Amino acid sequence: MKRFWCLFFMIWPVLALYVCWIAPQMGWWFPFNGPTGMKAASPLGERIDDLFYMILYITTATFVGTQIALGYVLFKGAAATDEGNTEKAWYSHGSHNLEVIWTIVPACVLLFIALYQMDVWAQYRVKDSFPSETKQGAIAEVTARQFEWRIRYPGLGPDGKPLPLMPEPQPTDLYTVNDLHAVVGKAVMIILETQDVQHSFFLPELRVKQDAVPGLDIPVWFKASKSGDYTLLCAELCGWGHYKMKARMVAETEDKYLEFLQKLTKSQNYDGVPETPAEGAPVASAAE
Amino acid sequence: MRSKLVALVLCSGVLFVCGCGRTEPQFSYREGLSPRVQEYVRTTVDEKFGTPHKIRVWDKLPIQAHTALATVGEGSKDNSLVVDITGAFRPIEPGTEVVWVGGTMMPRGSAPVTVEAFTKDKNLLSLVAAPPAAPKAGDKIVIGPGETLTHGRLLYAEHCQHCHGVAGDGQGPTAPYLNVRPRDYRKGLFKFTSTKEGMKAHRSDLARVIEDGIPGTYMPSFKLLKPEESHAIIEYVLFLAMRGESEFQMNNLLASDYSDASVANRIKDGETQEKVIEEFITRVKEGEIDEEVNQRNEKMIADWVSAQAEDAVIVPKEKRNASDEESIKRGRELYLSGNLNCVACHGESGLGDGVQTYSVTKNTDTGKDNVEPGLYDTWGNKLKPRNLRLGMYRGGRRPIDIYARIEAGIKGTPMPAFGAKLTEQQKWDIVNYVLELPHEHRTPGTGVAPASPATKPAPVATTAH
Repeated sequence: MKRFWCLFFMIWPVLALYVCWIAPQMGWWFPFNGPTGMKAASPLGERIDDLFYMILYITTATFVGTQIALGYVLFKGAAATDEGNTEKAWYSHGSHNLEVIWTIVPACVLLFIALYQMDVWAQYRVKDSFPSETKQGAIAEVTARQFEWRIRYPGLGPDGKPLPLMPEPQPTDLYTVNDLHAVVGKAVMIILETQDVQHSFFLPELRVKQDAVPGLDIPVWFKASKSGDYTLLCAELCGWGHYKMKARMVAETEDKYLEFLQKLTKSQNYDGVPETPAEGAPVASAAE
Repeated sequence: MRSKLVALVLCSGVLFVCGCGRTEPQFSYREGLSPRVQEYVRTTVDEKFGTPHKIRVWDKLPIQAHTALATVGEGSKDNSLVVDITGAFRPIEPGTEVVWVGGTMMPRGSAPVTVEAFTKDKNLLSLVAAPPAAPKAGDKIVIGPGETLTHGRLLYAEHCQHCHGVAGDGQGPTAPYLNVRPRDYRKGLFKFTSTKEGMKAHRSDLARVIEDGIPGTYMPSFKLLKPEESHAIIEYVLFLAMRGESEFQMNNLLASDYSDASVANRIKDGETQEKVIEEFITRVKEGEIDEEVNQRNEKMIADWVSAQAEDAVIVPKEKRNASDEESIKRGRELYLSGNLNCVACHGESGLGDGVQTYSVTKNTDTGKDNVEPGLYDTWGNKLKPRNLRLGMYRGGRRPIDIYARIEAGIKGTPMPAFGAKLTEQQKWDIVNYVLELPHEHRTPGTGVAPASPATKPAPVATTAH
């Protein structure tokens, strides 16, 4: 019976292998209903996914290996308790060789991971390594507050192109709530701020996540590889209304983006006077 | 060990029985009347408006409670109807109930007929089974009776209730922790409207608040709601506002004779408790009170209906003039003028620190002095006049929004309507000035050029800087 249990609990490594095998197809790891399906919606996101899978393979191999070793030890130990067996227990505690092996091997693995991911990390977080497209400045200031995302775009200049985003609000600025627009296929940068507590700017489909910290203006860049509506969430428990802090990020072509800003300019400057006064309506009272 | 186990089993048993029970949501009621009279108000309100799980809407209430309204047209037969949709508020989906209003086709107690499919371009409504009698052209039908409100109640419970409360009294469980208190709908008043002075809110005003939130308060934006979801919430909020206002009116009507204080006074003057109650019961029996209540309800309904009309919305007679230095200067002069007295509340520099914020003011309901100095809204909350230098506009930042605030005031607050006092151009001058206030250190119209101290332009007006 004891040998049966030894074998029975080998179900864990088998299960672990199976789950790792099917999880990507089942969409258990990553959001799968965005415009790009299961695939990350940004080039950097794809590299982050690769890192994730690499670490997953390493940890799976480690888990399965240690489980098999455990099973082997148990199975052998079971034999030692058989009736009539006179074999004595062997104490491995304090074995210098073993200690050295299981210190050096994981350290090497961790060092490898640390060095291997450095490039992705730098591109993601270090401003000097941001793509050159973002050097033109941020496209918008995203301010998190309990419980919504307030977004400030620079207005359009006389040439119809967006003006540079200034740190201080400008009379020409345009504002939206919970509606972030960006040009598709182009690395864009936003400035992330918070009005109250800590929030976290999370674009799950693009694998972008950055905390918004009170008092800091944090640059965040992303590049959507396909146009469509993406989810923008708060990923830091920020209060009772955290669950409703959901917005959308719309990736669209440059033309559509400019059109959006034009529409916003028009609606934000709306003075309530219909363009063409209906018949019978009082004519502009300039004559009064 | 064993006793611990027994205790654990007992505890989980108790939790299982009590902890997981569902409590039915209840509307709250106003208080302050003598118990017997209060009872009458409660039953009347419940009779008219029902409970959260059994909402009642009468035909007269201007609420779009159903999925759609339609008239049966020519060429209908058996279970396929040609319909003329007169008001579609939600998509008509298979399985929606269909009810005949005023026709003879649906005898009382007959099983409801449901929609099988609706072809929009042909206006063809096919039913699962043929109705009990042949459809006649001109029959009025209701598709999905009350479904908008039912859906609205669920969405309200999910998104709004924890602040605004089950009855829309602004006393949900989160409300005590909020500094700007959630709106209490039960006066039928909403602050940020596009309608004329003294008028109720337009549906689009509620829609805008739900879509964009109110910056500077805890009302967040619900932009990702689908249009029909937003519509359902608005209708339910309107329902709560009407229920609350009807109750408020009844309480007001009866307070002078039967509030706790008045009854105590009457007893002091020699009447007995029984006499007072008896008198009340006679008045109810004679229908006098019901009649007065109905009249007030009629007026409330008429007010809501008129606020939805096209001519209720403020439309400036002239277009906004350019926001140039001259206009802003004129705006500033008007702002500082004794005629408008904006500075009394908003302060000379627009910081919201005018003298009224530390003066003794009168309560709008009782006419008595408020205990603490400062400004109050009609809900009894202490109020800060807006700091105009923050660039944060609760009712919206479009020029028309600011114009509407100046034209019609902010309902339920001490912000008065200045519409009659000003010419169109003057109103726009003030709008331009208010919109420029957060950026006042810049030359107007220079866009994004950062202000550099060396070339700092002269202030627009040299007074009070």
